[in-house]
Amino acid sequence: MKRRTFLKIAGMGGLSIATGCDSRPEKTLFSQVRTSDDQVAGRATWYASTCRECPAGCGILAKNIDGRIIKVEGNPMHPINKGKLCMRGQAALQGIYNPDRIKTPLLKEKNGWHPISLSQAQNLLKEKAQMASRRGQNRVRMLTEVAGEGLIGLFREALKRWDSDSLLLFEPYAYESLKTANEKIFGLEGLVSYRLQEADFLLSFGADFLETWLSPVEYARKFKQMHALKNGEKGLFVHVSPFQSMTGANADLWVSCAPGTEATIALGLIHEALKEGRGVDLPKNIRTTLEKVALPYNKERVIESSGLVPEIYERIITRLFRSSKPLILGTSTGGSGNHTLQANMATNLLNFVLDPSLTLIDFTNRHRIEKAARRSDVLDFFEALDRNPTDLLMLNNVNPVHSLTEASQVRSALEKETLFVVSFSNFMDETTSLADLILPVSLPLETWDEYGGWSSIVSTLQPTMGGLNNGPHLGDVLLEAAWGSEKPAKNYQTYLTALLQRSEKIRGEKDWLKALQVGGIFDVPAQPNPSRPEKISDGFDILFFPIPKRDKSGFVFLATPSIRFFDGRGANKSWLCEIPSPLTKVAWHTPVMIHPDTLTTMKVKQGDVINIQSQWGNIEAPVYETEGVRPGVLAMEIGQGHEAYGRYAEGIGLNPNALLSPDTEPNSGAPRFTVNGVDITKTGNTLKLARTDGSRIQHGRKIALTTDLRTLHQPETHSTPGLAMHEFPLTLPIPEGYDRKRDFYPPHEHNTYRWAMTVDLDRCIGCGACTAACYAENNVGVTGMQGVLQQREMAWLWIERYLDPEQMDKITFLPMLCQHCDNAPCESVCPVYAPHHSKEGLNNQIYNRCIGTRFCSQNCPYKARRFNWFEWEWPDPLHLQLNPDVTVRSKGVMEKCSFCVQRIKEAHGRAKDETRQIRDGEVKPACVQTCPTGVFTFGNLVDKESRVRKMVEDTRAYQVMGYLNTKPAVIYLKKVVQEV
Amino acid sequence: MPLFLSICCLVLISGFLYFFYLYPAAGLGPEQPISFSHRIHVGVKDIQCRFCHPNVGRSTFPGMPPVEKCLYCHRYVIPDHPEIRKEHQYFNSRTPIPWVKVNYLPEHVFFNHERHIKKEIECEACHGEVKTMDRLNKVTFRMGFCIECHREKKATLDCWLSCHN
Repeated sequence: MKRRTFLKIAGMGGLSIATGCDSRPEKTLFSQVRTSDDQVAGRATWYASTCRECPAGCGILAKNIDGRIIKVEGNPMHPINKGKLCMRGQAALQGIYNPDRIKTPLLKEKNGWHPISLSQAQNLLKEKAQMASRRGQNRVRMLTEVAGEGLIGLFREALKRWDSDSLLLFEPYAYESLKTANEKIFGLEGLVSYRLQEADFLLSFGADFLETWLSPVEYARKFKQMHALKNGEKGLFVHVSPFQSMTGANADLWVSCAPGTEATIALGLIHEALKEGRGVDLPKNIRTTLEKVALPYNKERVIESSGLVPEIYERIITRLFRSSKPLILGTSTGGSGNHTLQANMATNLLNFVLDPSLTLIDFTNRHRIEKAARRSDVLDFFEALDRNPTDLLMLNNVNPVHSLTEASQVRSALEKETLFVVSFSNFMDETTSLADLILPVSLPLETWDEYGGWSSIVSTLQPTMGGLNNGPHLGDVLLEAAWGSEKPAKNYQTYLTALLQRSEKIRGEKDWLKALQVGGIFDVPAQPNPSRPEKISDGFDILFFPIPKRDKSGFVFLATPSIRFFDGRGANKSWLCEIPSPLTKVAWHTPVMIHPDTLTTMKVKQGDVINIQSQWGNIEAPVYETEGVRPGVLAMEIGQGHEAYGRYAEGIGLNPNALLSPDTEPNSGAPRFTVNGVDITKTGNTLKLARTDGSRIQHGRKIALTTDLRTLHQPETHSTPGLAMHEFPLTLPIPEGYDRKRDFYPPHEHNTYRWAMTVDLDRCIGCGACTAACYAENNVGVTGMQGVLQQREMAWLWIERYLDPEQMDKITFLPMLCQHCDNAPCESVCPVYAPHHSKEGLNNQIYNRCIGTRFCSQNCPYKARRFNWFEWEWPDPLHLQLNPDVTVRSKGVMEKCSFCVQRIKEAHGRAKDETRQIRDGEVKPACVQTCPTGVFTFGNLVDKESRVRKMVEDTRAYQVMGYLNTKPAVIYLKKVVQEV
Repeated sequence: MPLFLSICCLVLISGFLYFFYLYPAAGLGPEQPISFSHRIHVGVKDIQCRFCHPNVGRSTFPGMPPVEKCLYCHRYVIPDHPEIRKEHQYFNSRTPIPWVKVNYLPEHVFFNHERHIKKEIECEACHGEVKTMDRLNKVTFRMGFCIECHREKKATLDCWLSCHN
């Protein structure tokens, strides 16, 4: 007997003894006790609801299979997001299935947390509240996130029963300066929305409307309506700020200005506009005031102060006055200096001067985030906790300990012995860990509610699945605690419908059900709100004290909102940590971004850890080198650096709030996200950043191409097609693309379908929503910080960002995924035929056939294949999110994008049932479905009438590294750039 | 000594043969929490498969009948039978019945009942003569079994599009 045979037999014998002669694991099939009408095992049911991951309030559809939601998508009928969703919205699932979610009410005792029953917790809350209300006025207080009308109304009524009116709506990003600017200029204290889509010239002073500003999905869509190529034209977008956010990276021109000088520039533009003879129709008094205010800001002063290149300033002025529908947007959430309020007022005035009828500003559809309290009021609230005797503080989904600065004394206010703090949070974050009682309530995807992101709509929430921690609804908790047996409504849901009925938004139960089906009521007649304010007040000049020349000494530190974590609430979701930041391509870490010139003078290089010291604190941060910040400026994203908040957040990254001043701006009450005069010292340590990009530039290869708008229509100078990089013709992955001279293998036959995708680089903003959607749909594993450091991240679809070596602040984003080549290099090298060319053109990866040689990955020029080095973990209950229609891959297996073959199969099923062919546009892979700007088009290349086939004929169409003759089925359209 | 060894061997072998072929439960499927008989329900009472497994024509999975469904009949039919009492107990205590899975496919195989039923493939073609089995017998599905039929019926043989996505 050979040694091998012996081992085989011995192994088999051992195994069969261990498993009892049967290789199949015994599994249990649970039958339900009762079934609901709309549940078919294995088939999805979709529930319309509203996303509550940020205050924008996008409509969502939640896909429920066998009682668990496995995916959320945008609701196509919802007017805010029209079917699209950002990465934070996609990751809402990881909130529900978070492994660190608190399951039962917890009471803090001397030796730690003790689980108690729900009724005990409720009784305790009731008791504490009643006791407090008996002792005097305002002894019960509540701090809540911005919620819907129903909940806020209930909070107020409940507090009233306890003889209190101390309710505060806290949001870390409350747009105080924008709100004050609107109040001072338009006489309207609120946050209006903007008709970006109608503008032909957009000038932003830092507003990061593609990331977090007001309503990012809505504005991303509207921006591309204005900025994408249409009939050979496209709008112009100029971004002026000291830090190039992702929004700035999408501008045709990003102008770096000195921090805090946006107001100077805006006033300078008003100065030039008045000089140009604009605004002659303005009322006399306003014109005089304007002239007075803008007078000092001539070109020299603006250029001297802001550090703009004179020629660029001239160009902005020319283009601004040449455009017929300009729109000016204000500063980013935090602004960049001491004059953020003035900057926002000046942008409002500039809009008014350029278009006195303000047609591009929508005063009716106001953003709900306007209800949030100003930061100064928030600080007052915490001070009042100290000053006025308070017995009970209730916290609803807020984390002020993380979001407010260390110096603002929130921690000590919450830690006070005499104060009983109740948190309704589901997560042990910094604030909740200071509470005395935690009463985890159901999360938004598990409850009834209403939250209209615009003031003009009703947007409903409904339970999309049964609650995982059986938490009660917050409304029900308060109804019970404040009213007991004399409740005004049976439960919160009836309370809410009654409220909607009273405000005449619905007429009865039937309307409510109809609203739930659609996701809301979107055609609510607009309230009598003037399309623009009656009069613009002229008392604004007192706020425009002459802006002092800037202080040029020291470094300026900027804390910027993050598209991934928003204010930090996303930091406990592993997808959001694993998907890298759009600009730095750094995952998990929080680097500080510094300009190379500054680094040279400081003799520091990327990866060095530096100590940043401000008056209020210090942090040690790794350096990331980028041309996207102004020299002398340090920028860092807000959101990570949690001290608590679960395994994916705790101790990961840094929290820039530690450096910030606790002061607020005196006129608007806005927090300061900027610190002037910070000191930097080297620590001598280094940190390898978890970057997913290999290089920042393309090294001259044909990857992400751009084309100039001016030359777009000129007939191409016909170079004869050849085999060199730029002469290689576009070769379609269908039999027509076969050329005997070039091809070794015969063409693949595709009779009915050949799936293909076009990716319009002109539309891609780099937001990463597609990546998050892909993680959710395809059970893609999360490797963690260590995995990314070893370049083992598993994303099937990711965004590459390439800088232009000529001008390093010009950025092109490129979604990269398996190209489903007709002539696939992976297929020809596999010894076991695991990559296999399907009859519909897909490049199949057969997991059960794969033996893990990784030859395919080696031979793939796009590096689109991912190898499973480990069994990835889905800590309980994250595994409940896994899509049952997609195999969970195991260790030792290669995987990659499948064009969401499960969705293609589903469409095949429908088509077969109706004996027809799959319609164009019927199959929507997850990325296509969610992309806020419509980058992707998916369809059948064999069908000559399909959209994808027509787009392939565009002059911008090319294939990434097509000169390798791989004949990719993912065809890119060049980004169209234009000079300002 | 050699005699002892050979007797041991003989006993072992005959014991193995007995348990494999002659033991009363040989050839039966796994024991279930309630001794449900497919033979009686399908064979004797002639109840259609789809009465209990209604999703078979509209979903990947045929669906297991909810506990309440058994009681539609058994509230009146032999309600006091000890096995039916168990059923009542599950229902009254709102406990799902932990049926033991008989047929099994590896996780990288996606079988869609709906498509096969719509192509009018009989349940028996894969599951065997269910109406003769008290305890449902497991069928060992191997890839060749699927491929053979797909070839014969000219169904798709594409890896992802048929089974392995």
